[in-house]
Amino acid sequence: MAVEMARPLMDPAPERAKRGAFFFPMMFMGILSAAWFLARFMWGGTSVPKGVDMGMGIGLTVLMLLSIGPMLGARGKLNRGEDAGAIGNFAILMVVAILMIAGIISTWGAIPIGTGYGGIYDVTSGWIGLYFVGGLLGLLASFMKGKRVPERFRNERWVAHNVVSFWGELVLLWTAFFVVFYLL
Amino acid sequence: MATTGVQGRAVEGTGGGGEPFAWSMVLPLVRAGFMGFTGYFAAAWITAMIGHTVIVNPLPATVGYVVGLLAWLAGSGIWDGWIRRAFGGAEAPALTGVERYFRFSSDPKATAVRYVIFNVLAFFFAGLAAMAIRIELLTPDSTKWWLSEVHYNQTFGIHGLMMLLAVAASAIVGGMGYYLLPMMLGARTVIFPRLLGLSWWLLPPAAVAVFMSPLIGGFQTGWWGYPPLAQNSGSGIVFYTLGAATLLTSSLLGGINIIGTIVYMRAKGMSLGRIPMFLWGLFAAGTILIVEAPATFTGTLMDLSDMILGSHFYTGPTGHPLAYDDQFWWLFHPEVYVFVLPAFALWLEILPAAAQRPVFARNWGIAGILGITMIGAMVGVHHYFTAVSDERMPIFMTLTETISIPSGFVFLCALGTLWGGRLRLTSPALLCLMAMMNFLIGGLTGIFNADVPADLQLHNTYWVIGHFHYTILGSVIFSWLAGLYWWFPKVTGRLVNEFWAKFHAWWFFIFFNMTFLPMFILGIEGMNRRIAVYLPYLHPLNEFVSISSFFLGAGFLIPAANLFFSWRSGKKAPQNPWGSKSLEWHSPSPTPYIVFPEGSEVTVVGPNDNYAAGAPEPFVWAPTTAGK
Ligand SMILES: [Cu+2]
Repeated sequence: MAVEMARPLMDPAPERAKRGAFFFPMMFMGILSAAWFLARFMWGGTSVPKGVDMGMGIGLTVLMLLSIGPMLGARGKLNRGEDAGAIGNFAILMVVAILMIAGIISTWGAIPIGTGYGGIYDVTSGWIGLYFVGGLLGLLASFMKGKRVPERFRNERWVAHNVVSFWGELVLLWTAFFVVFYLL
Repeated sequence: MATTGVQGRAVEGTGGGGEPFAWSMVLPLVRAGFMGFTGYFAAAWITAMIGHTVIVNPLPATVGYVVGLLAWLAGSGIWDGWIRRAFGGAEAPALTGVERYFRFSSDPKATAVRYVIFNVLAFFFAGLAAMAIRIELLTPDSTKWWLSEVHYNQTFGIHGLMMLLAVAASAIVGGMGYYLLPMMLGARTVIFPRLLGLSWWLLPPAAVAVFMSPLIGGFQTGWWGYPPLAQNSGSGIVFYTLGAATLLTSSLLGGINIIGTIVYMRAKGMSLGRIPMFLWGLFAAGTILIVEAPATFTGTLMDLSDMILGSHFYTGPTGHPLAYDDQFWWLFHPEVYVFVLPAFALWLEILPAAAQRPVFARNWGIAGILGITMIGAMVGVHHYFTAVSDERMPIFMTLTETISIPSGFVFLCALGTLWGGRLRLTSPALLCLMAMMNFLIGGLTGIFNADVPADLQLHNTYWVIGHFHYTILGSVIFSWLAGLYWWFPKVTGRLVNEFWAKFHAWWFFIFFNMTFLPMFILGIEGMNRRIAVYLPYLHPLNEFVSISSFFLGAGFLIPAANLFFSWRSGKKAPQNPWGSKSLEWHSPSPTPYIVFPEGSEVTVVGPNDNYAAGAPEPFVWAPTTAGK
């Protein structure tokens, strides 16, 4: 039917383009985070105040670094066409995302928001938390698509690839966040 | 086959507009509006009840806005058009007919048409605000019988923010750019069509919130939102910050599509040197947004956080109010290039076809556009010379004045293109020339603003108002009209009424200059901007300006009527009424749903502006090869 033929015609970008162009929104999100991180030096003083939840900060960072394993595993499986396996890795990353969101919320209030450091900490971590919510939704979408309509998942594998790339960015951003807000 | 004849075939049933319009098609738009308002009031009331406060306070207004925005999106058709299928649900309906104009759609052409409608409406309401401002200034003190000082401040704030972010930012980029971006590159759509579709649906809630902000106290800060005034200025300021953040997000989704499509979706043979000039202008706008929006975006959110979360970024013991100025102008000076570079590029698209001459010194034009993009990133401090140290002033003065060099490249390209050509002075070409004339005045007066000794006298006077209206209204909006007339046949298959188009062009040009040229004199004589009450010696000139502005404003009914009646019953246009060699004219007018039919791909074999007699066709149509 003509309309069915029209669909691929009206979204003809090849996988290479869809994955390559995803770099641009990721770049924007990275620059935006850099703006927050730099603001920490404007408002947060020159040292880390006493009372930050260092244990939670280290714990979340270790968790994110450990998530590189399933992330790279998902990438490899997608490259080899093992979609079902990649979906399993997505489930692990979804658990990590939920833990990260909960962990971020638990660190709020360690330093009062009315102080310079507390304000920029809460707003920046809240913003990164929104990225995790976005990542979680992306993972969930790919997970459900893979379970319910594997064929569509296969035809649009670039979506899953971009979700994995985004997770890579989350790892980088959280690590940078930890360095900027807990160590410097 | 090197003719446009191959374009006669369109995929069966996908020409678009197959089904006649029915009122039921408007349902998603109505549903979105209903859900948006309901969501807003429900969330604001619940938040107010929990917090033992009233719904007009900042926190309930913020929560209401966010929920209302999401509810509006949910009603727009984004669920069955995108979200449902993304989570593995039923496939999205194929919308190829009229219905795609009234709901979430991944078709960039429908999105662009919606942009035009939105921009026209925003221009109308923000224009009414301008009329209210000029009525106020008819007499030295009109606060007794017209707007009070507080209402006057709200009015110019809404006028400024809406004209900039709801009109200038998306008029050319959205209405023309998103339509032409894929077509000019030889692609069937943009790289992320659904994100582009989403970009439009972010606009109406933001604009409605800003226009409605007086209902929750308005805002006193003008379009700057400077703290600490922002925090002491009425809850409407949260609609300002949220509206600005939403409009920026919308621009950004477009910017991502512009860059991604130009980088990844060019037709075979569309080398960097062959990319149409207009797309270079869009490319510059997209780059500016991606690179420079973050600092300003964070600024609006931090301003909001101070108001609703109790942080002290800009106020109180740890506050740095001047940091906001830095963040604000980081993007919002370069933002003027987001407005004006696509307009520059539009001249270099229309004038070669009108004069039947190739763009003169094309690569210098591209260098000019990219040069402005780069230098423009570094000049924002010129907006607060009175607040910075003496050492910083010369740096930003010099950088700002340096902008005139790449701007000159663009002007010389346009002039060189006309030189010796046989210009057909159609209404779009006429409007382009007028825009160039106006920009010349706007640009030259800008040098005085950038110059520190002059600026210390002129800053915050009507000199500045005159300057930026020349650059934005005088060149961006003139160019917008030029573009609307130029591509009108492409979109509707009909020509605009040339007599009324030209008649209004002259009306616009004369009353525009009568309104804004005296503002330079007013500024030199000491008329401050943003004041409702002024000294009596400024009265005669203000009266002249106000009366001129009423003619200027009323004149816009002419193009509104012209576009509407030409769309309904204008003269049928041939496929390529202007004799342009650009790729978008190689498909039928009006554009079918699928621009380039199945089975053929375009290859670019030459420059698209070679108008010499007997020049070879720049585009060749080849059968689609397997695996594409
Ligand atoms: Cu500026």
